[in-house]
Amino acid sequence: MPEIEGSPGTSMHGVTGREPVLAFSVASPMVHTDRTAKFDLPVDSEHKATKFKLFSFANPHMRTFHLSWISFFTTFISTFAAAPLVPIIRDNLDLKKADIGNAGVASVSGSIFSRLVMGAVCDLLGPRYGCAFLIMLSAPTVFCMSFVSDASGYIVVRFMIGFSLATFVSCQYWMSTMFNSKIIGLVNGTAAGWGNMGGGATQLLMPVLFEIIKKAGATPFTAWRIAFFIPGWFNVIMGILVLTLGQDLPDGNLGALQKKGDVAKDKFGKVLWYAVTNYRTWIFVLLYGYSMGVELTIDNVIAEYFYDRFDLKLHLAGIIAACFGMANLLARPFGGFTSDYMAKRFGMRGRLWNLWLLQTAGGLCCLCLGLVSSLPLAITFMMLFSIGAQAACGATFGIIPFISRRSLGIISGMTGAGGNFGSGLTQLIFFANASFSTEKGLTYMGIMIMLVTIPVSFVHFPQWGSMFFPPSQDIVKGSEEHYYVSEWTEEEKQKGMHQASLKFAENSRSERGGKVTSAPTPPENTPNHV
Amino acid sequence: MFWEDQITVSWRFNQTYRAGTDSGYKTVKVKLCYAPISQKDRSWRKTEDRLKKDKTCPHKIVARPYTASNNTFTWTVEKDIPSGVYFVRAYALNAHEQEVAYGQTTNVQKDKNLFQIQAITGRHVSLDIASVCFSAFSIVSLAGFFYMEKRKGKSSQ
Repeated sequence: MPEIEGSPGTSMHGVTGREPVLAFSVASPMVHTDRTAKFDLPVDSEHKATKFKLFSFANPHMRTFHLSWISFFTTFISTFAAAPLVPIIRDNLDLKKADIGNAGVASVSGSIFSRLVMGAVCDLLGPRYGCAFLIMLSAPTVFCMSFVSDASGYIVVRFMIGFSLATFVSCQYWMSTMFNSKIIGLVNGTAAGWGNMGGGATQLLMPVLFEIIKKAGATPFTAWRIAFFIPGWFNVIMGILVLTLGQDLPDGNLGALQKKGDVAKDKFGKVLWYAVTNYRTWIFVLLYGYSMGVELTIDNVIAEYFYDRFDLKLHLAGIIAACFGMANLLARPFGGFTSDYMAKRFGMRGRLWNLWLLQTAGGLCCLCLGLVSSLPLAITFMMLFSIGAQAACGATFGIIPFISRRSLGIISGMTGAGGNFGSGLTQLIFFANASFSTEKGLTYMGIMIMLVTIPVSFVHFPQWGSMFFPPSQDIVKGSEEHYYVSEWTEEEKQKGMHQASLKFAENSRSERGGKVTSAPTPPENTPNHV
Repeated sequence: MFWEDQITVSWRFNQTYRAGTDSGYKTVKVKLCYAPISQKDRSWRKTEDRLKKDKTCPHKIVARPYTASNNTFTWTVEKDIPSGVYFVRAYALNAHEQEVAYGQTTNVQKDKNLFQIQAITGRHVSLDIASVCFSAFSIVSLAGFFYMEKRKGKSSQ
């Protein structure tokens, strides 16, 4: 007897056995490829790229990727440019420990607000102008270092430069206009990770510039000021490149294109409400403050730490400090990769455990970093700490897209802001106080990281479970559809506004992990008569 | 207040000690040291008993072979000396480069006979002007670009 076609298990639809582990390309037939569009990469119906070709600069998709991550990279260079030069700056401006610590707090505080505002700016002006405006208007703040003559001036200028870190938002936003949502995780993770590398690159760049300028004849207290002109010019150059070479959308710029009125615009108040009333949002805001946040903190304190504790030369301390930030090249994408890998077998529970393991391991290494007094051991623990913290950042954004479908943008923005808040807080508590040493500060921070990561065990998805509890057995409450559609009122559902959430719910069934029950046969396939 | 840009240091062997105490002294290192007020809240200038870890006297004034008397040196304050309150200390080292004796211009509590140094700012008018020009360029080119694109958008409609 031939198998009855159409019965469960017979449809081999979509099963190839060769699903890529990392979604470098979208092969799913559910994403309709627009073959009429003339782009360098295959695109979907919105002309968003479905493939990610890393070493291409072709307009518009890959060119946007490179313009975007390099702009973000540039703002990291500018924001943390002072950090490796602090041993010189503290002598020039007669700074006390509290001044240095407060400047570090200031450097990451500004962008708490600018990151929240940037989303709206991108909506209004487009990500191209959002990015260009920010980096070209913050270039003067970098040049301002030449005027600084005391602690208060130093703190104010570092605060103003720090606003430019909101390019994180324009970067991620711009990626989402150019790349299909199935590969957006990898694209955004790579862009964010490579942008964060700027925090490492600057530790290498600034001491080298300082030495060169000194050799050219400048006195130390003038040389560091001249060195700041270089990051300032990076800002200007990238701004001009973004304006001349970039475009907001695959088909052109926001102003030039007619806005298509197909998709009903959501209400900001509603989107904010569903973000703020979801307890998971706040847990991740807290957690990101102790993965990304501590990464920013270390960018600010580590060069000075190695210079003072181990009596290294300025450029050597800079090289070691650079290794911390540069680990982002692989560490952050690695965290996203392990998250996806764990999800394949264990679903969302695997992602949560992965995040907890990585972030706690990072915290443990930070604790050890403060305890050791040998240079090789310190470097080792620093690198292990960097991998743990940065992979945790990548792992965090492997989970964030599942917290909410309706409010993803705002939740991402809030989480990003939480990162900066955590950085400001840790610098204030542990590194601005003269009453305990930097090594004690590192140890205490490591303990705090491990404690703060525990709340990830409270994150429970009824449809997937949590670290310690399985998913709900209730047929209705335990479905993905119930979770995502509960963000819409009856009225909104009647207008059909929840359709995208429904689609997302269906696609998210893979977060159950293990053996996935076969999806219902798509309506296009008419079962044959037996 | 009258500021000078030079310090004249002189040192000699303290005759109240037994003759021959200085037989092992080979070189003298004269250093500029921070007074306690300039060390406060600045752990990178901390005094430690272990000389290798001690950060009190980071600035070298001069190093000379040891002689018991007639030692004088005039030092022009270098441009990377930070503002602060200071004293001068001279270490006598033996043939193995170990500190075996010292003398200083202040007392044990380090609160008498201190002097102040005022650092240069490191600022220059030329830097300030360059800074203003570059900043203006950034703002003007951004505004110009925005304006031009808005005009192109209007004219193409």
